[in-house]
Amino acid sequence: MTITNVASEVIGSVWKVEMKVGDAVKTGDTIMILESMKMEIPVEAPVDGTLAELKVQPEESVDEDQVLCTIES
Amino acid sequence: MHDRKLKSDNNKAGQGEGAASTMNEELRFRRLAALEMGGPEAIKRQHANGRLTVRERFARLLDEESLREIGTLGGSGEYDENNKLVRVTPAPYVAGMARVNGRPVAIGGEDFTVRGGTTFGAARRKGGQGGFIEDLAHYYKIPLVNLIDGAGGTVTSAKKRGYVAFPGVHGFERSVQLLGEVPVVSAVLGTAAGGPAGRAILSHFSIMVRGTSQIFAAGPPVVKRSLGRDIHKEELGGASVAVDKAGTIHNAVDTEDEAFEQIRRFLSFMPQNVWELPPVLPCDDPVDRCEIKLRDIVPEKRTQPYSMHDLIDLVVDKGSVFEIQPTNGKSVITSLARLDGRPVGVIANNPKFYSGAMDASSAHKQIHFMELCDTFHIPLVFLVDVPGFMVGLKAEQEATLREGMRAVYVAGQLTVPTITVVIRKCYGMAGMATCNKNDIDLKISWPTGEWGSLPVEGGVAAAFRRDIESADDPKAREKELEAELRAYASPFRTAEAFAVEEIIDPSETRPILCEFIALAESRLRANLGPKGKAGVSP
Repeated sequence: MTITNVASEVIGSVWKVEMKVGDAVKTGDTIMILESMKMEIPVEAPVDGTLAELKVQPEESVDEDQVLCTIES
Repeated sequence: MHDRKLKSDNNKAGQGEGAASTMNEELRFRRLAALEMGGPEAIKRQHANGRLTVRERFARLLDEESLREIGTLGGSGEYDENNKLVRVTPAPYVAGMARVNGRPVAIGGEDFTVRGGTTFGAARRKGGQGGFIEDLAHYYKIPLVNLIDGAGGTVTSAKKRGYVAFPGVHGFERSVQLLGEVPVVSAVLGTAAGGPAGRAILSHFSIMVRGTSQIFAAGPPVVKRSLGRDIHKEELGGASVAVDKAGTIHNAVDTEDEAFEQIRRFLSFMPQNVWELPPVLPCDDPVDRCEIKLRDIVPEKRTQPYSMHDLIDLVVDKGSVFEIQPTNGKSVITSLARLDGRPVGVIANNPKFYSGAMDASSAHKQIHFMELCDTFHIPLVFLVDVPGFMVGLKAEQEATLREGMRAVYVAGQLTVPTITVVIRKCYGMAGMATCNKNDIDLKISWPTGEWGSLPVEGGVAAAFRRDIESADDPKAREKELEAELRAYASPFRTAEAFAVEEIIDPSETRPILCEFIALAESRLRANLGPKGKAGVSP
């Protein structure tokens, strides 16, 4: 079993979270949407697996490279 | 190093009939010694490190049988007490002229199997800064390919010489000169520090291999001695730092063969020198191909990103895109491509990263690419969706304003024809870096285009602060003002004023660009030669 960290590529804030812990995810699925520079930036799953942990909540500020959630596969 | 012994007797040389064959024998012997490089053990170590030898690299990169080696016999001979040659250690540098895609190049590379590719004392340097191969590229006006695999100078040379050389004797003068004359490509194929690392940077296009090559100003032992920190060379100067994070090297690939492929690809877009036009290739992609898909590629919702990479692929000749720096400064895309077989430089903002806002790294990337294309007479196509400079503390700490204005400065001095296609946003000073406004070069727009000093949203809050704050419902008042101002932002109103030359159906983008680029040829031909340098860069 491996844990994959999903990190933010941008600085901004969490707009909405589209999945909940325990959901099955496929590569490319949108886990959450960030807001940065007035744009909606989807955060996509880099691997197949299960959403193991959500580390941020809507409206929370996020930094570049900050881990947003983890996927277990 | 080599056990090979010269069979014939050197003393016979010059004695009548046998002399010629003896001389031939010695030539054969010395050539074989060169081909054996540092010997089987050293070659085995090079392979075990996942790297090819310099001669294998030449064979894989160059057109078959095209290498005319220069300086094959350079090296150190060992002689016995009768002055008879016993063995030869070849110079740790292999060089020559050859062909890539049928066109001549000068090429050189360190031989890491001979003393780690360090410089060697000789009457004339074969390669490296100020070496013969750089002079060859300069005098014959042909591209230079550097295959870099060495750490440069060694302190042992001071012991041999009896004094320490002053920096800049055998300096970078020629390397610098070449940047304005002929295409220079460097592949970092091992661990590069010092001079060879510097030379990799003094090139138009550089490349390294993930996992087997590293580059830094100084390696781990120097870091340990200077800062007391332990760090592995891959952590310090592997591709994730040097390419992805820093942009020190332009592109990273997974194998040496891919590096050679990228070198061939890059050169295929370049003229042989600045006195020639870039090569036009036959094109079977129809010039009048109208892509209906382009009409829907920009989402209706202004806050949603889309794939600028897909957009580029739909417009240019199929399969022609060669992206420079795909992993650094990702808010802008810089790609060489072709339109009707003619090389163009595409600069496109990427709405998926910071909404395409220009930050310090994307400014650097765009500046280099503009200078590259301007130098080699490659017209530029801007596909614009830029909301402005990147904002925030980190952006200010990275001097985004200064780097961004450097992009505006360089864009303002472009002499190649440029065509600006506004896809969506074109705002502020970052927007100014997307065209050469001093000229008659076209600015055209899709109907989705919008522009101004700054986007209405942020601008309203700042300009009408009192009005908004004193309203009964400040949020509603802000929205009302935004709606009022947005009406003026219609691209058609600007077109009425002829401040943008044309608004086009997105599907017509390719035919229009192809026509313009074909038209540009006479102008390119009229401006051949080196580019002048003006003023002080901000």
